[in-house]
Amino acid sequence: MTTPLQVYEPFRAGLPPLRRYWKSLWSRRTFISEFSRSELREQHFDSAFGQLWLILNPLLLSAVYFLLIVIIRGSSDSTRYAHLTATLFLFYLVANSLTGGVKSITAGQRLILNTAFPRIMLPISAVVIAIIKFLPTLAVFIFIRTILGLPFSWQMLWAIPVLLIAMLLALGLAITISCINVYFRDITNFLPYMTRTLLYLSPILYEASDLNAKLKTLELFNPLFPILDSWSRALVHGQVPHISYLLISLGWAVGIFLIGTYFFLSREREFAVRL
Amino acid sequence: MPSVSNPHKTNEIAVSVRDLCLTYKTAIDRRPTLKARLKALGRGRKQTRVINALDHINLDVEYGHVLGIIGTNGAGKSSLMRVMAGIVPPTFGRVEVYGSVSTLLALGVGFNPSLTGRDNVYLGGLAAGMSRKEIDTHFEEIADFSELGEAIDAPMRTYSSGMYARLAFSVAATVRPDILIVDEALSTGDAKFKEKSLNRIKELRSDDRALILVSHAMATLLDVCNDVAWIHKGKLIMRGEPNTVIDAYREFLQVGKSAAIDEDV
Repeated sequence: MTTPLQVYEPFRAGLPPLRRYWKSLWSRRTFISEFSRSELREQHFDSAFGQLWLILNPLLLSAVYFLLIVIIRGSSDSTRYAHLTATLFLFYLVANSLTGGVKSITAGQRLILNTAFPRIMLPISAVVIAIIKFLPTLAVFIFIRTILGLPFSWQMLWAIPVLLIAMLLALGLAITISCINVYFRDITNFLPYMTRTLLYLSPILYEASDLNAKLKTLELFNPLFPILDSWSRALVHGQVPHISYLLISLGWAVGIFLIGTYFFLSREREFAVRL
Repeated sequence: MPSVSNPHKTNEIAVSVRDLCLTYKTAIDRRPTLKARLKALGRGRKQTRVINALDHINLDVEYGHVLGIIGTNGAGKSSLMRVMAGIVPPTFGRVEVYGSVSTLLALGVGFNPSLTGRDNVYLGGLAAGMSRKEIDTHFEEIADFSELGEAIDAPMRTYSSGMYARLAFSVAATVRPDILIVDEALSTGDAKFKEKSLNRIKELRSDDRALILVSHAMATLLDVCNDVAWIHKGKLIMRGEPNTVIDAYREFLQVGKSAAIDEDV
């Protein structure tokens, strides 16, 4: 008798066999690229106007917030505008991962009920889509920065590890929230308030150094705080970011990713009966 | 995963189900919310329900056979199919699958209705672990078999339920899996397409593939199956000759009706 191709046995509490899970995830990587592509096409981001909107939307947003800063503070300068756009664009990478990720499992219901596959593919695809939407805005920022006449320096390369940390954080958050949404479908309704709060708690409309000592404790609870400050330091000011901030943000990102993934993997086998 | 030529012989085991139990918890609300949970806090209202879907099932499916599964609504037929397909893990027992499986369960393809039929076929295939090349080689045949014509490039939300069913069946049956699991999906097509899909099923049977059909259409089952299993409340009641089992099931339905009146269910 031949050996079985697949054996399905009860799962002990906790994680599925990780090596096998990873293998089956890796063999389906084309799904992730195909999914993001068709999703972007469906949202018309493959057309010229769609692409324009992708850039126009964050640009208009940054213009509105800049207006806000000018009105409240009475004055502003080009560095402040560069800081605002740089951090706002990165913030939207995380925010878009969250809004895209939250419904990824519930929207994939038909697929989940019909096919056996690693469910984590769905929130991963949502983050890939957010990253694809983010890349043109990065180009726009570099353009703005050149226009504003800010000097370029090799310290700007520090933005690369910061960006990788931000992506890991976005992935961890998307995985976590997509799983929570299976059990509490109204998380989607709370999400705009959460991202809005996160926006004001982050050094976007202000710089981290502007905060007075009393409010500084806020940064401890916001994983985006050290990330956005490091991002701005590297990309806008051309300085080396605080190493402590880099380490704290890496800690946040890895922590949220590991906890979220554990939570997701230990739950995903019952998604089919919960949808 | 699916292979075009079939390496399996008649009567070789395709799926072996041993002492299978499935118990799961599901939310009572169709759309469980945090708000509802908070409101119910302290009132002690239960939010979840435990369902004993399968109860010590033993079942072997052999290649070259078409196994029909019958039973009343909620008997556990769909749960059994999901466990066999690896979608839901069993609570107890063991399922061994000796071959590639293609599933056509209650919902079929069309995971994102705003995407075109073509995109959905590709995404469904990729999620099932096929490579893009494999789907490329099958796609023409899928589109032909479904008879959707140009509609294949229209968003699936514009499809009728019959078109959905046709595309779903075409995908599942065209990739020529070793084992095909079909859950109540044959009933939605029109008469012509039903005929066509039944012919395809017979074709797969003579090609020594294994098929498992869940259906309420007894005539269909009598026509294509050479083996029928009857499940009731998660237990395997009877398994054997289609005529015998279906007759027993029909008799049970008659008796069940009158008993139900007495019990005021």
